[in-house]
Amino acid sequence: MKRDPIYGIMAEFDSAQALIDAAHATHQAGYQKIDAYSPFPIEGLAEEIGFHHDEVPLVVLIGGIIGGLTGYLMQYWMSAVDYPLNIGGKPYHSWPAFIIITFEMTILFAGISAVFGMLALNGLPMPYHPVFNVPRFALASKDRFFLIVFSSDKKYDPAATRQFLEGLAPRSVSEVPS
Amino acid sequence: MSAAPVKQLDLTAPPMVKTIAQRSLIVGVVFSVVAVVLAFMRPDEFYRAYLLGFMCWLGVALGSMAILMIRHLTGGGWGMVIRRILGAAMRTVPLLAALFIPMIVAVWQHRIYIWAQPLQNIKDKHLREHLEDITKTYLTTNGFILRAVFYFAIWNLLSFLLSTWSKQTDHAGAPDNTDRFKVVAGPGLILYGFTISFAAIDWVMSLDPSWISTIFGLVILIGEVLSAMCFAVVVERILFNYKPMSEMLKPDFVHDHGKWMLAFTMVWAYFNFSQWLIIWAGNLPAEITYYMRRLNGGWGYIGLIIVIFHFAVPFGILLSRSFKRNIRKLVWLAVWLLLMRYLDLFWIIEPNFSQTLKFTLADVVVPIAIGGFWLAYFFRNLGALPLLPAYDPSAGEVLEPAHHHPENA
Repeated sequence: MKRDPIYGIMAEFDSAQALIDAAHATHQAGYQKIDAYSPFPIEGLAEEIGFHHDEVPLVVLIGGIIGGLTGYLMQYWMSAVDYPLNIGGKPYHSWPAFIIITFEMTILFAGISAVFGMLALNGLPMPYHPVFNVPRFALASKDRFFLIVFSSDKKYDPAATRQFLEGLAPRSVSEVPS
Repeated sequence: MSAAPVKQLDLTAPPMVKTIAQRSLIVGVVFSVVAVVLAFMRPDEFYRAYLLGFMCWLGVALGSMAILMIRHLTGGGWGMVIRRILGAAMRTVPLLAALFIPMIVAVWQHRIYIWAQPLQNIKDKHLREHLEDITKTYLTTNGFILRAVFYFAIWNLLSFLLSTWSKQTDHAGAPDNTDRFKVVAGPGLILYGFTISFAAIDWVMSLDPSWISTIFGLVILIGEVLSAMCFAVVVERILFNYKPMSEMLKPDFVHDHGKWMLAFTMVWAYFNFSQWLIIWAGNLPAEITYYMRRLNGGWGYIGLIIVIFHFAVPFGILLSRSFKRNIRKLVWLAVWLLLMRYLDLFWIIEPNFSQTLKFTLADVVVPIAIGGFWLAYFFRNLGALPLLPAYDPSAGEVLEPAHHHPENA
């Protein structure tokens, strides 16, 4: 795949509310592939850039189910197949006794799935990211708020998109090299 | 972000609150007539059903008080928006104290509580020997009454303090009571944990004085907070049709209420399963009687319904984020869980009196009669104060307008 020399166009804002408003306007204007950066989490921002659904819960659910099955089958195999032991005259396959470990294994696998699922889906750790090619972007971890329209967006046009972002009253607009 | 237009929001409860209070009172009176007839015709069935109904509605009131105290310790908009609903439920404690009198009558008349009968009437030799001991020390008529007075005194005191300080913040220039609330809420939650444990032992567990479970108090406690959260969701849904709740209740708050419902449902299952697992593993004759009775003779079907519809199905549904955020959907699960709370208490109380599954007319009529009066008093309380203490420092969390993202509403 040929790599686009331009990663996108980035606009810089002074406040969280300005970023939310700009993200809202950009999304409304029909841009799909956009992202926003802020020094702290902003409630409602994810929705404004059109990010409604992430796959982490599904990964966690699948991880939890696998963990539960593993825990139960492991105990079944140990207590009823590999090393049957008569405990208090109860059947070898005594499901009530297996529930606690099954529950704990569900939690363990779900927790591990949450961490690694999150890392797999957001691509971290990421040693190189084009946005850092813009020197001003260092301020994103201080007191500035950034919005980017990726060049892979269908509606992206170097001149028109820049003009659109400039219309949102940003502090600055920069082209981001890949 | 100017909150000015919303600040002028009229916070008084909508007039329909009074209508519901009146209708509840009518239901209460009508069902009470039938209940009183039953009390004379079939007194034993009446008192069992009375205990069942009393525990159902006591749970909503005390659970509301507990959630209110949790909010005072943790803060959060989810608790501000339902604070006055929880408060109105909490302030029904005096009514519940009055409604407890028939239980004292039951003990006086040697009804439902086997330990309250003259010991020579008890045919089972082992039980009689066991009771000879315990009826001299703990399970005495006077002890039963004195302890009940003590529990209600503590609950009334907590309710009085929390509601008095809350009322002050309805007016401009109100003192900041946040720290006072914290000072009462911390010890108050501990007191609630102990008093409800002892009350559960006195009023419910002592129906079978030969059986002991150390987690029984917590089983009742978690049922109460679950009932209270579900009840708050139902009331907020009713109020959501009108101002000011339609302005105040945001999807984020509903989401939190749904999360509480999920958490309480899980803890309820956890406590109940713990009790069952320990008794199952120990397999001791003195302990297994509780579940032998409740898993045989038709009672097992009720137990199965409870496992599936009080835990498994609500748990699965509550995993959904979009379901928890939608008050119009969440309310139906809340109503369902309130019915399940009734069924759970039915399954705890009634098998003490019958080997085989038995539903009596009183089991339906008496809880509705008590509920009618309770709801009338609750809605009267709800209408008496604004739906938000406007001058509480945390009121802003609810009055601030939400970010405009209509697709998320």
